[in-house]
Amino acid sequence: MKKKVISVLLAAAMVTGLVAGCGSSSGSGGDSGSSDEGGKQYDGVELTYWSMWTSAEPQGQALQEAADAFEEETGAHITFEWKGRDIKNILSSALESEESFDLFEDDYTRITGNYVDYVADLTEMADAAGYADKSYQVFNDVVNENAGFLACVTEQPSVGGVFYNKDIFDDCGITETPTTWDEFMEACQTMKDNGYQPMALDSTYAPFWFGYHLARTIGEDATADLAVNGGWSQNEGVIQAADDIIEFVNAGYLADGAPDEYPASQNKMGIEQNVAMVVCANYVTSEVNQNSGTELNWGLFAYPTVENGADSTSTFAGANSIAITSYSENQQAAFDFAMYIVTGEQDQNKADLANQIPADPNNTAPASQAGTTEVLEATDAPLTWNMGLNENADLMSVIQETVVKLYEGSYATGADFAAAMDALY
Amino acid sequence: MKKNRIFIIGFILPCLLALFVMYLYPVVRTVAMSFFGIESVTSDVSNWTFNGIDNYIKIFTSPTFQRAMRNVLIIWIIGGIIILSIALLFAVILTSGIRFKKFFRAAIYMPNIISAVALATMWIQYIYNQDYGLLNQILSTLGLEGKNWLGTDMKFWAMLGAFCFGAVGYYMLIFINGIERIPADLGEAATIDGANKVQQFFQITLPLLRSIFKTNITFWSVNCLTFFLWSKMFSPVSTEASTVVPVVYLYDTVFGTVGNVQRDAGAGAAIGVVLAIIVGVIYFVMNKLLKDDDLEF
Repeated sequence: MKKKVISVLLAAAMVTGLVAGCGSSSGSGGDSGSSDEGGKQYDGVELTYWSMWTSAEPQGQALQEAADAFEEETGAHITFEWKGRDIKNILSSALESEESFDLFEDDYTRITGNYVDYVADLTEMADAAGYADKSYQVFNDVVNENAGFLACVTEQPSVGGVFYNKDIFDDCGITETPTTWDEFMEACQTMKDNGYQPMALDSTYAPFWFGYHLARTIGEDATADLAVNGGWSQNEGVIQAADDIIEFVNAGYLADGAPDEYPASQNKMGIEQNVAMVVCANYVTSEVNQNSGTELNWGLFAYPTVENGADSTSTFAGANSIAITSYSENQQAAFDFAMYIVTGEQDQNKADLANQIPADPNNTAPASQAGTTEVLEATDAPLTWNMGLNENADLMSVIQETVVKLYEGSYATGADFAAAMDALY
Repeated sequence: MKKNRIFIIGFILPCLLALFVMYLYPVVRTVAMSFFGIESVTSDVSNWTFNGIDNYIKIFTSPTFQRAMRNVLIIWIIGGIIILSIALLFAVILTSGIRFKKFFRAAIYMPNIISAVALATMWIQYIYNQDYGLLNQILSTLGLEGKNWLGTDMKFWAMLGAFCFGAVGYYMLIFINGIERIPADLGEAATIDGANKVQQFFQITLPLLRSIFKTNITFWSVNCLTFFLWSKMFSPVSTEASTVVPVVYLYDTVFGTVGNVQRDAGAGAAIGVVLAIIVGVIYFVMNKLLKDDDLEF
C-alpha cells in the first residue's frame, strides 16, 4: 500500500513537472492606450521585446535604460528577452506560431524578406509620428520597396567605405582623401614611403572589398548576375578589377600578414597604429577601438571610383531594425516605444554608449563614427553586403575562398582569377 | 499482477509519448520535408510544394555540399587515424603501470571539459596567430620563416589539428576501459611464455579490443558528421569553403547566411536525411566488419 502511495505521488509530481514545463508565460495584456488609475498613457500595458543583443552589451544596456525611462513616462512595462545574434534562427518559428512578443530586432533585409508576413504595417503610425523627418530615407525606401509597406523602423544604421586613421594621413601630408583609384594608389604609395602599411584586411572581409571594386567597375547587378550564372572570364571588367587588386597586392600595400584571420589585421590599426585603412562597414571602428583599447582619430571616405566604371557613387548601407508583430495587441504602444528608442535622446544615448551611427539624423554621431552620417545622407541607392557576390547562396563560400586567394597573391593575372571563378560552376 | 501492469504502463507511457513526440515525429517530418519545397523550417504543411527528389539532386550537385562532404571525409579518415592512434597509444601507456597515471589521464581528458569555443579561440589567437602565435614564435626561434596558418591553403589542417588535440582524451578513456577489462592473467601467461610487450599488444590486447574499436569508430563517425562548432569558430563571420562541413551547410541552407536571406528548409531536411543514412550505413558496416561476439574472456 505504502509503495502504491509513493508511486502515485511520484507520478503526480512528474505530471505536474511536465505540465509546468510545457506551460507558456502570460502574454502581453492590457488594452492599448488605456489609462485607469495612474493617468499615464499606457498604464497596465505589458510589452515583450525580443532583442538581438545581450543585456551585457552596450546596446542592451541602452535599451534597458530607454525601457525604464519609457515606463516612467507612459506607464508601459517592457520585458526584454535577450536572444543574441542567433535570434534569426528562431524568429520564423516564433512568428509562425504567434509566440507572445510585441517587438523584435533583426537585420532589415530579413525582416522585409523572411518575416514580412508576420509584421505590422507601420506606415500610418509612422506618418502620424513624423518618422520621415527622424530617419534616413534610404532605409525606409528599401523597406518599402522590399516589403511593400513600412515593415520596420531603423535602429542601427551601418555604412561601408574606406575607414582610415586621420593622424596617419596628416603625418603623410595627405590632405585630400582620394576619390579615384589612381589617387588611392598614389596615397598608398605615399603612406608606404612614410613607413606606414596602407591597408588592413581580414579574409572574412575580402569579398566586401572586392565586391566594392567590382561594383564600381561593372555595377552590382552585373556582379550578381555573374555570381548566379558564371561567365566571369567573358567580362573585361572583372579581369580589370582583379588586375587592379593584383597590382595593389604586388605593390606591397597590404598590411603585414594580410589577408589575416578576423580580427587580427584590423586590430593592427589600433595595436600597432602603423596601418592606415580598412575597407569595411562602420562597426569596424568601435571594434578596433575596443579590441586595442585605443581611440583612433577615425575618418571615412567613399570607395574610390574606377576609370570608365559603371557606378561611381553607390555606398553599402544596411541596418538592424525594429519590427512589431502583426498579432501584437499593443501595436501603438509598441510603435511608440520603438520610436522612443530610435529617435531623440534615447537614440543619442544608444549611439554614444555603443559607438554606433544614430538612427535619427538629427542626432550627432560619436567621434569613432565621424563622416558616416554625411555618407548616409548622400546615399540613395545602397549597395548590399558584398555587392552581389552573395547572390548565389550555394556558391558563396567557394566564391569567398577564390576572392581571398586573389588577395593572397595566388593569381598572376586577372584572367587567371576570372578562370578560377568560372571553374566553380 | 494486473495492477502491476497498470503501474508499469503508467510509468512507461509518458516516456513513450515523449519519445514519439520529440523523436519519432521530427524524424518522420524531416524525411517528409526532404521531398518538398519549403522555405521556413516550421512552415505550415499547406505551404509545402512537392519537389520529388529535386532537393536531393540540388544538394548532390552543389559544389559547397560536395566540398563539405570532402572535408568531413578527410576529417573522418585522417583525423580518425590520428585521434584513435594517439588515444590507443596513451591508453596503453596509462594502463602499463606508469606513475602519476591519474594525473596524466585527467590532463589528457581535460580539453573535453573545456568549452570548445574557448579551446578554438586559444588555438586561433594564441597558437596560429601570425605575429605572436606559439607556432610562428617557435619557427622564429629556430630561424625559420613564419607561416599564415589560417590562410586558405592551411586553414582546414589548422582546424583539424586543433580539433584532434581536444578529442583524444575522450577516445582514450574508452580504450582504457577496454584494456582494463582484459584479465591480467592473459598478459602474465604470455610473459611466462616469452612474449614481449609489443607481441602482447598486437597478439592479445588489440584483438580483445575489437568491440571497443567498433564503439570508438561509431562514436567518431557520428562526431564527424555532426562536426559544427569548430567549423563555425574557424570561419566566424561567414562560412568559408576551406572549413565548411555538412552540418554548417545545412545550417546555412535552413537559416540563411550573412548577406543572403534565401532559405530552403526542404534541402536542409534532405541534408539531414543523407547524414542520418550515412550514420546508419557506418553502424551497419562496423557491425558486419567487427563482430564482437566471437571472443569470450
